[in-house]
Amino acid sequence: MKEKLYKKEIWLTVVFSVLLILMGHSATIFRLFPGLQQGTFWGFPTQYIAPILLGWFGMAVVCLVMAILCNRFDDEMEEHAASETQRLERVINE
Amino acid sequence: MPAEYALSNVWLGIGVVIALFAIFYYVGWWASRKTASDADFYAAGFSIGPVTNGLGMAATWASLATFLGVIALIQKLQVPFVYLWIQWTISIPLLTLLYGTSLRRMKAFTPASFIRARYGKPSTVVIVCWMTLIMVMYALGQMIGLGQAFELLFGVPYNIGLIVAGVATVGFITMGGMYGASYNAAFQMVVMTIAMVVPMGAIMKAMGSSGWWFPPLAYGDMVPSMLKMIPTFFDMKYDVRWYFALIPAFTLGPVALPHLAMRVFTSSSVKSARWAVVWFALFLGLLFSGTYTAGFAGNFFRATTDRIIEKPDQTLLILNVFYNPALVAAFVMGGALAAGLSTIGGNLMAIAGLIGNDLLGIVAPNMESRKKMRWGYVALAMGGIAAILLAFRPPAFLVTSILWAFGLLATTATPAILLGVWWKEANKLALIISSTICGILYIVISPHVLPSICVGKGLVAALGMSGGMVTVPMSFAMFILLSIAFNRMSALSAYAPTLEDKKVIDRIHGWGEHYEESRYNGITWPLIASVVCIVVMIWGLQPWS
Repeated sequence: MKEKLYKKEIWLTVVFSVLLILMGHSATIFRLFPGLQQGTFWGFPTQYIAPILLGWFGMAVVCLVMAILCNRFDDEMEEHAASETQRLERVINE
Repeated sequence: MPAEYALSNVWLGIGVVIALFAIFYYVGWWASRKTASDADFYAAGFSIGPVTNGLGMAATWASLATFLGVIALIQKLQVPFVYLWIQWTISIPLLTLLYGTSLRRMKAFTPASFIRARYGKPSTVVIVCWMTLIMVMYALGQMIGLGQAFELLFGVPYNIGLIVAGVATVGFITMGGMYGASYNAAFQMVVMTIAMVVPMGAIMKAMGSSGWWFPPLAYGDMVPSMLKMIPTFFDMKYDVRWYFALIPAFTLGPVALPHLAMRVFTSSSVKSARWAVVWFALFLGLLFSGTYTAGFAGNFFRATTDRIIEKPDQTLLILNVFYNPALVAAFVMGGALAAGLSTIGGNLMAIAGLIGNDLLGIVAPNMESRKKMRWGYVALAMGGIAAILLAFRPPAFLVTSILWAFGLLATTATPAILLGVWWKEANKLALIISSTICGILYIVISPHVLPSICVGKGLVAALGMSGGMVTVPMSFAMFILLSIAFNRMSALSAYAPTLEDKKVIDRIHGWGEHYEESRYNGITWPLIASVVCIVVMIWGLQPWS
């Protein structure tokens, strides 16, 4: 259980770090792949509006999912820490 | 200073400013009655809810530059500067994810409180010095901006504007402590968002856009006209390395900004901090998108009216004077003022925390809570007065762009915090050496000190992008490699992390007292990270076009 929680914490941190950086730096993708700099969206060139939308709504969605998953993870951690404390208390009492 | 922007009725401006300050002082007075301990003073009693904190976070991040400097820089660099600005939104979510919630769990007042618990006193002095320098640069820039705003708005000499604005500002911030800073920042965010977005709708309508009903995103119908007049406006202009260089200096720097981290620490719980970040992303996105619209409109205005704007900083104000009634223009100025004040509030609270809590905590570790709070008030007022005095005749090295200072923070403080939270091997001596050497190197290779040994040139060097791409990865790599080496030298065992230092890490990650040596330990991944850092550093050292 301990090992599983530890791995989960690392994974959550790595995945959300990458997603946040992608949301904030999506312009780099348009620079890396110039072929994407074509077409328009809502009248704007895609390479202009997509980074703005991802930096605003994309970021908000990532933060929302992050809040839900990380808060759920905290519950698991608290549960684990409480059960470990109980187990230790039992061992000491015995 | 001859102003291109002038209110037709200066009393409208005075009325708006007096009304805003009256509200700020009322909030400060109300907050002072709630402040009874150091936790109240530095962290608003760890009680701020998600929506208020989300607004406060956004306000603390958005500075006077959001209304003045950014629009000028969009005119200069066009769309690449918009990309640079977009990535600021990552700062608070990333710091919350990487260490904000962990440090909130230990009830830290500033990131340096963690440094003291994890690395001890000498390392804390080093980090506090760097952070205080950067906070002073930040507060000074805002204070100068406030003086100039008063000069512009009321036509008074700069020095008088500075004294009036500075003293009035330091007064309400000192009175309210973190409670006042938090609730005032939330209110200031509402003011600045309305001031940015609503008048822009009228401007867009006057410019002929059918999307005036939602200025942040609905001006696409102006794009063809814009492209006819400025065909290069949407060009990405720079190479991949320019875009990559935004990460070390401008993403990793703000992650360690103490006034942003302190907003996370005021949250009513760890979970509430994460929800606050969701609101932050929505609120800041709205304000920033309004800023990009203003930058677009400023370029459009210049191209369609053939008007030369001598002071591009004033573009937003000129647009409002040109297209909107005087009362609206005065309110926009009030919005700019609110943006400056919210940032100064955060900066001064950070200076108070770093000096009054972290540094004083080293000298007098057993000081009682109320006494600590009193010292906090003193440090806050002194920090404010120092910023005002410095702004009269600012030393050249302190008025370098705050964007440049972000690279310095990324070099000196970010590795200490991130590796301290995530890696048990992080060594005290390695931190002091890497932070000091790389920090000094960052200053030396910038164009501001010795232009002959500068890495990069032009704006990339001036803003610290090229320098940061060298010293930030170097600082990470040096810290990791020296830590591994020092921890294995018996002569340096005094600097190796103790069991108590390592227990801090498990505790702040939520494991309670159930310590396990293998967690957040090992050297394989840190070594891989060092290799990546060295590759990035070498890339940064290649000639910049």
